[in-house]
Amino acid sequence: MLVKIAWRNIWRNTTRSVVVIIAIALGLWAGVFASAFVQGMMRQKIETVIKAEMSDFQFHRPGFTDEYLAKLYMQNGEEIRSKVGTEESVIASSGRLISMGMVGSAKQNGAIKIVGIDPDDEAAVTGLNEQVLDGEYFEGVMRNPILISQATAEKFRVKLKSKLILTLQDVDGEIIAGAFRVVGIYKTENVMFDRMNVYVRQDDLRKLIKIETGLHEIAVSLNDHDLADPMATKYQVIHPDLSVQSWLDLATGMRMMVDMIDVYIYYIVGIILVALLFSILNTMLMAVLERVREIGMLMAVGMTKGKVFFMIMLETLILTMIGGPLGLLISWAFVTYYGVNGIDLGGAYDEVGFSSVIYPFLDGRSYLDVTFMVVIMAIVAAIYPAIKALNLNPVEAIRKI
Amino acid sequence: MSKFVIETKDLCKTYEGVVPVQAVNKVNLQIEDDEFTAIIGPSGSGKTTLLNMIGGLDRPTSGQMLVNGQNLAELSDNQLIDFRLKHIGFVFQSYNLIPVLTAKENTEFIMLLQKLPKEQRDARVEQLLEEVGLADKKDSRPSQLSGGQQQRVAVARALASKPDFVLADEPTANLDSHSAFNLLDIMARLNKEEGITFVFSTHDQRVIERARRVVTLVDGEIVSDERK
Ligand SMILES: Nc1ncnc2c1ncn2[C@@H]1O[C@H](COP(=O)(O)OP(=O)(O)O)[C@@H](O)[C@H]1O
Ligand SMILES: [Mg+2]
Repeated sequence: MLVKIAWRNIWRNTTRSVVVIIAIALGLWAGVFASAFVQGMMRQKIETVIKAEMSDFQFHRPGFTDEYLAKLYMQNGEEIRSKVGTEESVIASSGRLISMGMVGSAKQNGAIKIVGIDPDDEAAVTGLNEQVLDGEYFEGVMRNPILISQATAEKFRVKLKSKLILTLQDVDGEIIAGAFRVVGIYKTENVMFDRMNVYVRQDDLRKLIKIETGLHEIAVSLNDHDLADPMATKYQVIHPDLSVQSWLDLATGMRMMVDMIDVYIYYIVGIILVALLFSILNTMLMAVLERVREIGMLMAVGMTKGKVFFMIMLETLILTMIGGPLGLLISWAFVTYYGVNGIDLGGAYDEVGFSSVIYPFLDGRSYLDVTFMVVIMAIVAAIYPAIKALNLNPVEAIRKI
Repeated sequence: MSKFVIETKDLCKTYEGVVPVQAVNKVNLQIEDDEFTAIIGPSGSGKTTLLNMIGGLDRPTSGQMLVNGQNLAELSDNQLIDFRLKHIGFVFQSYNLIPVLTAKENTEFIMLLQKLPKEQRDARVEQLLEEVGLADKKDSRPSQLSGGQQQRVAVARALASKPDFVLADEPTANLDSHSAFNLLDIMARLNKEEGITFVFSTHDQRVIERARRVVTLVDGEIVSDERK
């Protein structure tokens, strides 16, 4: 009967109830959509970082990435790599030799990071082969091929087939030099990355720096980025003498950004919900104050305070239960549509390293979180008017009759 | 067990304020089972205040208020709500009914609060609406009923809980004389045929004539108490 009364009370003022339902639905939609937008943007960013730059997690000797000293290599690198390769979640892995050196063309000199790779393995992990604009991916040049970025090509004013002299230190710290020929030119979305890295065949570099077996870096890609942290932790325990890090720690500021984005999402949703809370609270309060005499009468004839409280709460809760799913449905439709078609920002965020077309995305858990927050908000919004109703003195209320 | 359904002993109620108002002053009133009592007096004489104390809606400043021998002062607020539900039927001047419920549902509501099973409720609602002459209006909402019809539903609702007595504060104040007489006739018949005790206040001279006992209040004091 209380449910019946609450239900009918809702439709007593249809306009008001419809406004509340729409407010809840819109609030939910705004919250979900804003979250999905930010999450989608972040996901794309992460995808780029992992795919092109970092892979999911990497192995190094501690301190190697500080100065890239050739002698800090992992003796049993290949062994570790094949062991990791047996993990179910591992899609591919790439072993790298890395050396900091100077590159010299006929025109100019400059510092560069020389990465010695197995072309097939590297292609499987970073898709480097897909980034090649000009020339071939390690094909066509027989001796000492080198893949450089467009930025590097411009800086040193070299073209395909041009000769480059690399000067670097071998494992004993001796200065050595090698001549390489440009086999291809690549370009990623990250200019900084492009300026820094050139790629050569691992065996060519191995001979130059005199490391017979072993690797400087093992990059592993996984089928689920969320596994990167646990996997890194797992292998860190197995290899305490190495440094095993996930992409969250490999890319500077990444972990902070990912953490911040969650907080940011909660802020957005929080602000929307507070606005919603006050509008519902206000509306329900009006509904209660309009019915002072009626509620006073109910208390006079023997309705307990608990039941009065419950009755008022029910009204808000029913409204939420209509508006909530409605909002979720609209949100889901929007996110799904734009998740496929994308929202074009027209390059507004290019400079800070985000893509210009955003594909909103929200995982199931975030839907649940937002829904949960809306329900909590609705309950909070319902409590105050219900308490107001409780504080009515039936005698006073009836006197107004 | 007291032989009185209602018994007040030196009942007083003072409203504190800049000028304290002695709304009810040393009222000693005994009402027996089956009585049909009108409390009359000019506006502001304390009728509502007295009825509120009898009905356990308000607490006296001093004196005792007994219902069937139970001193209401001994009950907590929550116990008092329960006591009202079980022992007292109320008819107010207006706003008696829940606007969103039909006549039938309004009557049933009290029995739901008392947790009576459905068969009992249904049978009793039929019977009560029959008695107040509204069997054909059972599915109408209050807004679809006239003032007199609404008050008759209120009487049915008040009786639904099988109370010890029914309190009615100016039940005819908003009614035209035809409806007022009609309501009084129904109350008088219920009193006579079913032995239901009514205490009602009024300042309507025509209504007073129907009462079997008339208690007159002036400035919160009983100045006369006549039985016909
Ligand atoms: N809540 C209150 N506060 C102060 N004075 C009140 C209050 N309620 C009633 N009174 C005063 O008490 C007196 C009796 O009022 P009431 O019982 O309503 O009389 P009646 O019902 O006979 O018109 C009046 O003088 C009225 O002004
Ligand atoms: Mg009065």
